[in-house]
Amino acid sequence: MSWPGEMARRLAALWRRRRMSAELQEEMRLHLELREQEKVDSGMAPCEARRAARRQFGNATLWKEESQMAWGWDRLEQFVQDATYGVRAMLRSPGVTLVGLLSLALGIGANTAIFSLINALMLRSLPVKNPQELVIFGSGLNNGISDQFPNSELYSYPFYREMQKRNAVFANVAAASSMLNLVHGTVEGHGTPEPMHIKLVSGSYFPTLGVRAVLGRMLSQEDDGVKDAHPVAVVNYAWWKRSLGGDRGVVGRKLTLGATVFTVVGVAPPEFFGHQLGESPDLWIPLAMQKEVPPGNDGYADSMAESLHLIARLRPGVETPEASANVNVLFGQILRGLPNVPLTAQNLTELETTRVELQSLSRGFSQLRVQFSEPLKILMVVVALVLLIACANIANLLLARSTVRERELAMRQALGARRSRLIRQLLTESLVLALAGGALGVGLAVLADRLLLRMISDRSTPVPLSVPLDPNLLLFALAATVTTALLFGTAPALRATRTELTSSLKEGRSPAGMAGRPHLARLLIVSQVAISLALLTGAGLFLRSFVNLAHVDAGFHPDGVILLHLDPASAGYKPGAQLNATYAQLEERLRAVPGVDAASFSLFTFDEGTWNNGIWVEGYVQGHRDRDVHHNVVGNDYFTAMGIPIREGRGFLPRDSASSQRVAVISESVARNLFPEGSPIGRHYGSHDPQNAGSTEVIGVVGDAKVHALNEQLEYVDYLSRTQVDFFYLNDLVVRYSGDPGAVVGAVRQTIRDVDGNLPISDVRTMEEQVAGSMPDERLIAQLSAFFGLVAVFLSSIGIYGLMSYLVTRRTNEIGIRMALGAARANMLWLVMRESTLLLLTGVAFGIPVTIAAGRLVASMLFGVGATDLVNLLCAVMMLALVAALAGYLPARRAAHVDPMVALRHE
Amino acid sequence: MHGYEIANAIQRASDDVLQVEEGSLYPALQRMLIKGWVSAQWGITAGNRRARYYQLTPAGRKQLAVEISQFERVMGAITRIIQTA
Repeated sequence: MSWPGEMARRLAALWRRRRMSAELQEEMRLHLELREQEKVDSGMAPCEARRAARRQFGNATLWKEESQMAWGWDRLEQFVQDATYGVRAMLRSPGVTLVGLLSLALGIGANTAIFSLINALMLRSLPVKNPQELVIFGSGLNNGISDQFPNSELYSYPFYREMQKRNAVFANVAAASSMLNLVHGTVEGHGTPEPMHIKLVSGSYFPTLGVRAVLGRMLSQEDDGVKDAHPVAVVNYAWWKRSLGGDRGVVGRKLTLGATVFTVVGVAPPEFFGHQLGESPDLWIPLAMQKEVPPGNDGYADSMAESLHLIARLRPGVETPEASANVNVLFGQILRGLPNVPLTAQNLTELETTRVELQSLSRGFSQLRVQFSEPLKILMVVVALVLLIACANIANLLLARSTVRERELAMRQALGARRSRLIRQLLTESLVLALAGGALGVGLAVLADRLLLRMISDRSTPVPLSVPLDPNLLLFALAATVTTALLFGTAPALRATRTELTSSLKEGRSPAGMAGRPHLARLLIVSQVAISLALLTGAGLFLRSFVNLAHVDAGFHPDGVILLHLDPASAGYKPGAQLNATYAQLEERLRAVPGVDAASFSLFTFDEGTWNNGIWVEGYVQGHRDRDVHHNVVGNDYFTAMGIPIREGRGFLPRDSASSQRVAVISESVARNLFPEGSPIGRHYGSHDPQNAGSTEVIGVVGDAKVHALNEQLEYVDYLSRTQVDFFYLNDLVVRYSGDPGAVVGAVRQTIRDVDGNLPISDVRTMEEQVAGSMPDERLIAQLSAFFGLVAVFLSSIGIYGLMSYLVTRRTNEIGIRMALGAARANMLWLVMRESTLLLLTGVAFGIPVTIAAGRLVASMLFGVGATDLVNLLCAVMMLALVAALAGYLPARRAAHVDPMVALRHE
Repeated sequence: MHGYEIANAIQRASDDVLQVEEGSLYPALQRMLIKGWVSAQWGITAGNRRARYYQLTPAGRKQLAVEISQFERVMGAITRIIQTA
């Protein structure tokens, strides 16, 4: 009689329930038949014998059930029965079920998704050793190459080396390029070149972060000691899997970048993505090998090529303030001691006042975080409110449903069902609904996070950021909704089963039943309406703000423009005559392509970064800071292609060549503010150094155009000719077209192939896409707040509809009597509408102050619309009223169409 | 013995004194099966029909001894009470 033996027999009984049941049945039948036979044999009439046998045996069904209870699975069977019953009940009222499931799924899914993204972007620590010891010099948000002096954001390689050598506070210092370079390279064994994202890092980068290779080794200090000496690379785990097929023998494999053959020395661990969130380099290469990334890069020994982020690990026991003091002393000393630095009096004064801020790098850093933390926080509040509305909705639905079932419950109790059994059944039913909703919610969260990642990406490929679902919040949201479901699904059952059976059975839907009016349900509806109003108003504000932004005059015409990116560096071009010739040929041939109106190469277009420094105008003395101008280098047809109007003078012409006078076109605001006296045409200026003031002649003035973002203040821009500036790779090709864009893109691609079949095209998009991509944060919050605003209104209206329908059903009898006594249909309509209108008005009255307060909180994020915009608020109220009126009208109409005779006979 | 035989045996042994519904035998048999006090095997009756034959297991025999001694103690106590009255 051992316990495990008994358990095994019980499990066997569960497993072979059906067979055992059949056996029991057979055994009992045999018993009855033998007994009957015995009676017949002793002379009883056959039918008499059968009855006697049965009497002697007792209630066969009861004995069978009791026998089965001996197996010990009756609880489980009841649960399965209840669950099945619950599912059937859900399917019987699909509307209620759908809304319940939707509420649960949205509540759980949206909260989990948004919080998971917040966690991934703002809260999670870098997957490296002791991330809290890591610091970064400056904000880490600037990127590019700068020659500003002094610069506390971007650093040169010689500076990094000096800092590493001379500091007394860091366990180690590392440098990494502030940019992620896209280079076309060839993997040994693969035929064609493929695009690779490459991060240049110092040899100390991986030791400083404390990251170990999963295969081979990471880079070390030795790899970075001598320029061009160690062509080695570490590959990203995901890239290793994707592009190299997870080749176990990858160490020692070769890849060719430009003219250099690199050897793979190791694979980084799967969770490691660098120190910058939203970036995922395919390869890490030592800074000493930068001449191929991009080809022609030569900043290894140049103390004025500032392109690096500096990161460091604090020595144990050293706090950030102490480290900061040491770094700031060294900052000045090192910069002054570097070779070839412009130590002008002005620069030295600047140096006195420039401070390096050390920031914690424990959570990495990211442009995404700066851009999206505000919108995500607001969205988190929004979805939390949606969760509240969803809970209120579930509460109301279940409350209404189980109240309607009060009579059913009373009936079953009267027929002998135990109270505990009934409660257990309702609990099971609610649980089925809650769990189904929860499962949907988890699925929705996964999908939503993918969608969110796409929405925060300005490229066609999503930001490479891993967003695992946050288990804590998932649990919280699940618990909140499931508890609501259980509480409100069961509470009426508790109440119902406690009542006097007879009264509940007798009264039915008589007027006395109205005594228990659902005050709780009303309270829930009022709060739903109030919250919906706040969400809807907020959505209106963000939408209008977004539309305002999208309609800002960019200064150029993005419609009808295609933007292509070429990669001449990978095709072996060097900036200069050869590339210029190819580009000139391309521009020439593209102009002849049918459908192409203008085509021009340029260094930048819109939202692609800039190259800027101060300018000096000949014969005019200015202050220092306000002369910063963004330079662009463009082809002759750039202004036509972009649709930037020429206000004065002329654009670039073929006669502006490498051998002629260096010329420039300036934007209106530059002409107005930096050339204050008379027309700027024919006057000279220069950049970088006052000695250059006479170098460049102004030949034209064009309209102001936006540089980074549509909501930016006026930025100064000047344009130089592609033929006269050749120390940069130009890789943007702007094409203005008319007609079918697909055909034009095809023709442009063909023309490029005709001119040089090896010239890779890395990206094609429309200028409109490029512009839209510059405001993903505004778009994100506008779209999502609008979506959730509508969801809130929808759920609230369902809530109102549900409550009103329920009330009408309960009052059918009363309405019938009133109508029999002569009440008009319109009166009945009003009876119900009054109720729903009152709920709406109370909700709005509570909602308005909340809405106004909430509006003030988001005021700073709005563009061209006030936070307390009355029109907006009125629109929200109107929309809410409209939907609520509809939700109230449908049940009201049902009340008005009650046939008195039917209603009175009903019970 | 199968169920019907057991019922008959009880009836005979008690000289028809114990009049219980015969069906109550089956829950008891199922409980004893789960506890492992009896084992069951399908066989063929004299009338050539399929029936389940039950047999006491060693564990069942042990349990029977325990139950009997328990019963005798109670029975003895009751007898003593009746006699003293």
